[in-house]
Amino acid sequence: MAIVSARGGRPWTFYVLAAIFVGYVAFLYGPMLCIYVLSFQGPQGGLTFPMRGAGLHWFNQLLSQGDTGDLIGAISRSLPLAVLVMAITVIVSFAAGMAFRARFPGSNWLFYLVVASLVAPGYVLGIGIGLMFQLLGWNTDWYTSALGAQLSWTLPFGLLIMFAVFGRYDRAYEEAARDLGAFPVQTLRLVVVPMLLPGVIAVALFGFTLSYDEFARTLQTVGSSNTVPIEIWSMTQNVTTPSIYALGTLTTALSFVVIGVSLGTIALIQRRRVGMKSL
Amino acid sequence: MDRGKKDQVTSKTTGVTRRELLGRAAAAATGVAVGSGAITGFPTIWAQEIKDITLRHVGVSYSVVQAIGDQAAKDLGFKVSMQNLDTSTAITRFITQPQSVDIPDLEGWQAKVAVPRGILQGIEVKRIKHFDEMLPIFTKGEYKGKKVSRQGISPYEAMYLPSRDAKQIVEGVHDFVSFLPQVYNADSIGYRPDLIGHPVTQWKELFSPAYKGKAAILDVPNIGIMDAALALESRGDLVYKNKGNMTRAEIDKTIDALIALKKQGQFRATWTTFEQSVELMAAGEVEIQSMWSPAVTAVLARGIPCIYAAVNQRPDGKEGYRGWCNGMGLMRHLKGKKLEAAYEYLNWYYEGWQGAFVARHGYYSPVPATAEKFMTPNEYGYWYLGKPAVDVIKDPYGAPIAKPGAVRDGGSFIERFSNISCWNTVMDENQYMIQRWNEFKSA
Amino acid sequence: MSASATLVAAVGRRRERSWSLSSLLLALPLAAVLVCFVVAPLISVVAVSVFRYDNFAVIPGFTLENYASVLSSRLTLSLYLTMIRLAAITWAVTLVLGFCVAYFLVFHVRSKLIAIGLFLACTVPFWTSNIIRMISWLPLLGRQGIINQALLTTGVIHQPLGFLLYSDFSVIVSYVHLFTIFMIVPIFNAMSRIDPALFEASRDAGASRWQTMRLVVLPLSKSGIVLGSVFVITLVMGDFYVVKVMSGGSLASVVSAMVDDISTLLFPHAAASAVILLVVLTLLVAGIMRLVDIRRELVAER
Repeated sequence: MAIVSARGGRPWTFYVLAAIFVGYVAFLYGPMLCIYVLSFQGPQGGLTFPMRGAGLHWFNQLLSQGDTGDLIGAISRSLPLAVLVMAITVIVSFAAGMAFRARFPGSNWLFYLVVASLVAPGYVLGIGIGLMFQLLGWNTDWYTSALGAQLSWTLPFGLLIMFAVFGRYDRAYEEAARDLGAFPVQTLRLVVVPMLLPGVIAVALFGFTLSYDEFARTLQTVGSSNTVPIEIWSMTQNVTTPSIYALGTLTTALSFVVIGVSLGTIALIQRRRVGMKSL
Repeated sequence: MDRGKKDQVTSKTTGVTRRELLGRAAAAATGVAVGSGAITGFPTIWAQEIKDITLRHVGVSYSVVQAIGDQAAKDLGFKVSMQNLDTSTAITRFITQPQSVDIPDLEGWQAKVAVPRGILQGIEVKRIKHFDEMLPIFTKGEYKGKKVSRQGISPYEAMYLPSRDAKQIVEGVHDFVSFLPQVYNADSIGYRPDLIGHPVTQWKELFSPAYKGKAAILDVPNIGIMDAALALESRGDLVYKNKGNMTRAEIDKTIDALIALKKQGQFRATWTTFEQSVELMAAGEVEIQSMWSPAVTAVLARGIPCIYAAVNQRPDGKEGYRGWCNGMGLMRHLKGKKLEAAYEYLNWYYEGWQGAFVARHGYYSPVPATAEKFMTPNEYGYWYLGKPAVDVIKDPYGAPIAKPGAVRDGGSFIERFSNISCWNTVMDENQYMIQRWNEFKSA
Repeated sequence: MSASATLVAAVGRRRERSWSLSSLLLALPLAAVLVCFVVAPLISVVAVSVFRYDNFAVIPGFTLENYASVLSSRLTLSLYLTMIRLAAITWAVTLVLGFCVAYFLVFHVRSKLIAIGLFLACTVPFWTSNIIRMISWLPLLGRQGIINQALLTTGVIHQPLGFLLYSDFSVIVSYVHLFTIFMIVPIFNAMSRIDPALFEASRDAGASRWQTMRLVVLPLSKSGIVLGSVFVITLVMGDFYVVKVMSGGSLASVVSAMVDDISTLLFPHAAASAVILLVVLTLLVAGIMRLVDIRRELVAER
């Protein structure tokens, strides 16, 4: 990948851009560091410096369903919801991405619908979905209405990224598989999916992240039990404890574990692909 | 627990009076809970039938508290799910998805806008055991013969319905209510005594040039504008006919004054979240602001001096607190066993456990008499009666928050509540007001 | 067009075949989700926007008063101007930042795996709720915050800087913090597609570094830049809580005014405002896409 520097020494732009990158990461993690540090306060702790006491009190509070709010309950909904949204986003936007490689009746309409879905004011859209469920006599719940509301948010992202993924992908491989007599399913399983997997993982990450963070569209569609962002937002209307910071710290720690695993998987896939190409 | 035969609903399936059984079960449970917290003595059939019921109580986090729901579930034998939302999201939920809520937690003004939309059913007063012990501030709109302020929407004003299915709130005392008050307080201004240097007892100090760039008000249009009105009235700028229901001209004058103050740099911020108000005060970004009682406690907990101003009414009619009250309604879709359970739940709130719990947060129960039974004399004296603490005062989770000798700001709850100037509201000119408020914000 | 795309196009032409039916089937799930969860609720929003209402009820009927009221108000103009200003600044900052970060990750990091690792490191904070991350700026930016304390102790300033918090500045800082990733991802994607051979070719043809950037990198990352811009602009224009909290209430956004309406049940007015915002944003996005046809850029159409 490092084309510019392929001939040896780093150009001056490398140092400038490296500095910008490091600056950006510092900017990104600066306030996060506050969260990490402040989560290790004692029982008297608040949301800001100075530190009041030290210890794992707020982690205990978080895990034992603490004073205010029910974060663990919220996580027990937000995580499966994010995984569900991720899976559906991957499958649906993968399929739609394949579809959009050709013109089909209504493809323009669908594309503009995707754009409208992206730009629609989320809070109002959520109210509309809630109202619709009420009119149909269905119960709003995180795994029905909130799932749909979040998909209306993640699918446009998923599809647009899929466009890019398919744009990079050379269809000649698919044609070759066909010419060699592979059935469409075989082509998909043996050729298309493995080659596109890194891109698909990117969509999956996006789907998961967007769902886990979603607020505006979920607010009126979540039903009787809150997801994490709504629980936290409601908590901010009252005494807010560092247990939300403890959640941030735990999340980050866990994320790095997940990333380690993901990267390992990608490395493995790449090695396999290199193997395939050299055949 | 002995209720008249008239309001007992006969169960068709068992041939036993359902009210009696449920009532006894609850009574037994509560009685035992007082002593040991254990639950025994449920009639088995009923315990089986009601344990599958889940009541969904939805509202703001300072009113709908998980710990209270857990205790109620323990005492009553059915499930209670507590969902916290912000005020705006909650009322929107009640209106647009009434089926998704059983017990809506409403402020008086919210009850007033919810009733005409037909999402609530009237609560039968006769079936609320402690209703008569509820402070007359709520049930009769008066205290010790003195009328409580009717500026804004007082709980009394939003309370009574002529029938179960009524879609109109009516004046006077009737057999049905739209909501039952469960927690309330009187809001005023919080300030830093170390930075201000003198006791604050008047709203006009909020707009005093002495605190330019060091003042704040809260960013909820229909509450913020009343704090502004209280300050303007206190300053002598104008006298409102009803601060809780301004005319267009009054709204214009108030907002124009706010915009002028903003341009002069009076406000450091208008705050949105609880923590923001605490942070502004604790960090010294502001020295005086409209504030909620537990936020003052939170500032104190950091070892920073902060006082909740006692803005008692004056002979000239100026000053006074801004009162609010959250209560529980019954959604219209509730019926049968679930409705029975809901009534048990409403009744449970006045048995005292909840009253004691919210008191330790700095809020009040409308039935202080039962709350007293669940508090030590020291606690009751400190929280309700405004007496100096004789021992350490602890918060609901056991953390110490006041030393012996400490006195609560503002005195007894009666001192506060007989000094309410106006109540949280929604005005007739609401839309115009919100538009003007946003003009103030973007000015 | 890249070499591979040309090849793909050639293969496509060789096989004159109708993809229509299978494409239609493949697009069906997407269409179904969007019809159920976007079209249907939007229809109800449009319906409510022409209803009459008072303080106590929404009355079905037909009136354009709500639109007239929104469009004729001074407030609407000032809200849009505020949001356009915030969106423009945020867009410019995230674009420069996103472009540089993506460029660095794609062209300057030698190992692809490390590039992905660094990229993921940029996404980890996003798994902590936006609201927590927004709140976490308070201890940094306040008058007694870490930044002011640091500047005071080092003697750079003698008075704490008030503009750091509860100002346009803190709102934009939050936006950049929350939304830059939405710029990085598409640009990262677009840049990864650039054929490395083009750099060699450009250099061999005697182009300077700046010329290569202008003639090769920029045009080929255009689709990513456009997508990122669409993401960031719509995110900022649709925001209501960052602006509320981080400006300390000194700013109102189009949607926060809508939320204020809804909180006192002025549904038709809010619905009209929502429809207008939707139309404005759709026109804006359509305009941007007229400039650069994202689909043609992304999909090698035949």
